[in-house]
Amino acid sequence: MSDQSTSIAFTVAIALVCGLLLTGAATGLKERKLRNVAVDRQKNILKSVGLFDPDRPAAVAQIEQLYQDSIRCDAVDGTGRIVAGDSGAEALPVCFYVKGNQPAAYILPVDSRGLWGRIRGYLAIEKDGKTVAGFSVYNHNETPGLGGEIEKPWFQKNFVGKRIVDETGAFAAVGIAKGKVTDAIAADRQANYVDGISGATLTGKFLTGGLKEVLLDYEPLSEQFRAGPVSLPAGG
Amino acid sequence: MKLTQSPTFRAFSEPLAKNNPVFIQSLGICSALAVTVQLNTAIVMALAMTFVTAFSSLTISAMRNVIPRNVRMIVELSVIASLVILADEVLRAFFYDISKQLSVFVGLIITNCIVMGRAETYALGNPPLRSFMDGLGNGAGYGLVLVTVAFIRELLGAGKLFGFSVVPQAFYDHGYLNMGFMQLAPAAFIIIGLLVWLQKSLMKG
Repeated sequence: MSDQSTSIAFTVAIALVCGLLLTGAATGLKERKLRNVAVDRQKNILKSVGLFDPDRPAAVAQIEQLYQDSIRCDAVDGTGRIVAGDSGAEALPVCFYVKGNQPAAYILPVDSRGLWGRIRGYLAIEKDGKTVAGFSVYNHNETPGLGGEIEKPWFQKNFVGKRIVDETGAFAAVGIAKGKVTDAIAADRQANYVDGISGATLTGKFLTGGLKEVLLDYEPLSEQFRAGPVSLPAGG
Repeated sequence: MKLTQSPTFRAFSEPLAKNNPVFIQSLGICSALAVTVQLNTAIVMALAMTFVTAFSSLTISAMRNVIPRNVRMIVELSVIASLVILADEVLRAFFYDISKQLSVFVGLIITNCIVMGRAETYALGNPPLRSFMDGLGNGAGYGLVLVTVAFIRELLGAGKLFGFSVVPQAFYDHGYLNMGFMQLAPAAFIIIGLLVWLQKSLMKG
């Protein structure tokens, strides 16, 4: 065999062995990885309503238990009617933080454009339909240290207590300021903004747009909560 | 011949201090800056790195007589990349939170010059066991630096070790403050610089 064909045969053999090894590993560990991802998502839902403290890690079983006890996920249709359980493609998914059979907060899944890819997380709104209960991110591709700071507690904590309505009660959404809120935003709008991340202006801009889109989609539901106590349908 | 004099042992012990890949060859600095804010991530990174250097050196050394010269780099990279992906998969399955914090840096072990450097300069010319020990030593030497830097940064920057507070509350009550600077990348540069100085002056004596 010539030198060239030896080289080609050798590389093909190596590629085959490496490929088989990695396929084996990926398939073998798939179940564990999927469970981790599911638990991580539950953890972020809990985090958005303040039930999970990122500084105090909890065991997997604890998280699953807490999630089962206090979160239920339903859907909401275009008019804001809550549909029990997981329903068709028309309805938007929504989760509720249930305290004593009453929703204490509702949790909206966020899927926003980011600088390098999608930013996925949860935005929780208090039962008054106006106040943000929390925000969390479970998946993003932003630059570590810059836009990537959106996954850090210091950034997410700033959302707690912010408003999605302005002073007159009209819809305003919640956004990320360019720089500090106190410097960049007029006094009467400060309740609608959180501090931005320096070096991540674009991430902030995209996320602001994404959050507004999500909040607009769920506005019919928010209006119901603003009008008075909402009861959840049975089942689900 | 004493154990400490054998070439196999020396292959392991020399990169720990005398020929440390970070201090002497200035390799792998990038990840040494990125993952040393906390001890947890530094230790996991050190283990992943040691695993990759040790087994890539072993594998490449075992194949050194049959690898065609003209494709040796491609073969080396295939082996290294496979091991790195394997390490990443295991981390994702068993240490999900830490693997999320390490984000891209586990994948970037592939481009860490220490791994490729050992494969090229050592594993291609030495028998498997000795190459394995050399890889182990280089990974451990890199890990040693990582853990030392992370220890200093986490202690001074956050007052914690392994995520547990070690600076007593009484200190904070009397006005002690965490050094926020330690959490930033430049602090790692300064610490590594000081460690290089320390290591050089110790080795001279």
